[in-house]
Amino acid sequence: MTAATIPARRSGVDHWLDAFGNLTRWQVTRLRRLLPITMVVQVLSTTGIVIGMGLLYGDLPPERVLYLTTGAVTISLITVGIVMGPQILSQERISGSAEYMAALPVPRSAATMGWMVLNLVTVLPGIVSALLAATLRYDVELAVSWPIVPAVVLVVFGATMVGVAYAYAIPNPRTVNAVAQLLIFVVFGFSPIAYPAEQLPDWLASAHRWLPFESMAVVIRDGLTDGLATEVGRAYAVLAIWTAAAVALASWSLGRRP
Amino acid sequence: MVSRIAPPWVFEIDDLRKSYDGEKWANDGITLRIEPGEVFGLLGPNGAGKTTLVKQVVGLLAPTSGTIELGGYDLVADPDHARQLCSYLPQAPVPIESFKVHEAIELAGRIRGGEKSTVRARTEELIDDLELEEWRDTLGAKLSGGVRRLVGFAMTIVHPAPLVILDEPTNDVDPRRRRLLWERIRRLGDEEVAVILVTHNVLEAEKSVDRLAIIDDGRTVAEGTPSSLKAADRDLLRLQVMLTPGVDDPALPAWLRAEARVGNTLVTTVSEPDVPAGLDWAQGLMTEGVAEEYALGATSLEDVYVRLTTVEAVAS
Repeated sequence: MTAATIPARRSGVDHWLDAFGNLTRWQVTRLRRLLPITMVVQVLSTTGIVIGMGLLYGDLPPERVLYLTTGAVTISLITVGIVMGPQILSQERISGSAEYMAALPVPRSAATMGWMVLNLVTVLPGIVSALLAATLRYDVELAVSWPIVPAVVLVVFGATMVGVAYAYAIPNPRTVNAVAQLLIFVVFGFSPIAYPAEQLPDWLASAHRWLPFESMAVVIRDGLTDGLATEVGRAYAVLAIWTAAAVALASWSLGRRP
Repeated sequence: MVSRIAPPWVFEIDDLRKSYDGEKWANDGITLRIEPGEVFGLLGPNGAGKTTLVKQVVGLLAPTSGTIELGGYDLVADPDHARQLCSYLPQAPVPIESFKVHEAIELAGRIRGGEKSTVRARTEELIDDLELEEWRDTLGAKLSGGVRRLVGFAMTIVHPAPLVILDEPTNDVDPRRRRLLWERIRRLGDEEVAVILVTHNVLEAEKSVDRLAIIDDGRTVAEGTPSSLKAADRDLLRLQVMLTPGVDDPALPAWLRAEARVGNTLVTTVSEPDVPAGLDWAQGLMTEGVAEEYALGATSLEDVYVRLTTVEAVAS
């Protein structure tokens, strides 16, 4: 092996796909001890929400069950990208391993997409178990249709990009952890994901018209139920704007050289 | 007349300046030139600006001014290309807790663009050369700091870029494997790779580098081969006196040159004819209770380093 000559600059689709494959493998291997635990937590939490709400409220009307089930799925998709991902990334920044990754000769976009695939893999068992639990426990009929595929991909992609964007844009990585903790409360308690927006104060319901969480719930609900989701087109538009903004911020913060 | 063959490419840093706050210079006009096959040492105390310098080379930091080029390619303008042209081992531990040793090295080689079979063969070669066989299938989380450092080193050079940058590669490594690591670094030079070696370990670097620069307070305070930097000390010996804590500094004879005061240790140099007088002087300090111990030895690169970088240098 000799490096007396300078190798040609690697670029193009082949280089990107090669880097994406290797980095996805890297991420899966890196988190292989954590991944099964995270998947079990996802299964327990999504299934727990679906079954637990029944215990809390007794007999629930079918529409309410569908709201809760699709809400539990959405919460699972959101939290992995917006809460858990940034917590891991902030730890990486603190330990210095983020810097190691940043110095690797790969497109940053390939690394981020590898991260998104990992998020997607993490949440899928939780989604399936929540849907099974709802069907078996409440005997409701889900109407799973093809839009669920782009909806899940868009929600995970959007949530991952929002997570990556703030995880790298906030200067102090310890603040990232605090923001992630805060977002858990916002997503779980104060977002119209598992319940209709009318149950919130007007000002908060108005804010959620433009925040991404309600729209994420709408597109997921549209792919899992029949006629329960409204203003689906608007929800996709809001999500597209948020995702585009998050991609722009993530690109800026990942490419930034202090 | 012997004509020198032009190198196929060179790595050049020209008048590089970096400030984080617009006031203090972390790098203040650094200029370097390194050729393929050279092992170049970057020495300096903590906070001298060494890591800031190499982070600019690999595109993690942007220079305030100045240029960095490899083979004519502008690394400042194209940090993506910079990362392809530099293999970098940072000071922080490599994140391999969940990787088996051979997995980490192989995957790092693939990420750096190596062919599968070549990377696999090179991985086995490095595991063998660095005597890592017993940990081949061990997870990174179970490795000692030194072994993990060696794995990080192997991950960096398994498919080396034209420029390899190693930031404190010997940290925590035991003396025997440290020797293997230095041998492997030397072999990188034989492979026509240019190596920048950031280290505090002056004595080891002295044996392994072709040339070096001593950086202090963001500036290059000396540059050359280890021999050329020691040239001024050729006829000198080092007389080191461990002073008794709490006593006043002793007066120095005119023929004794004070180089540095590090804690309670006074480092001086003395020319060969003055050695007997120097020993009498040191013995006298012990008799008076001013010193607890003294030692006479050959000067080394470390003396040059200490003289150039010690803030508390004693005026002679």
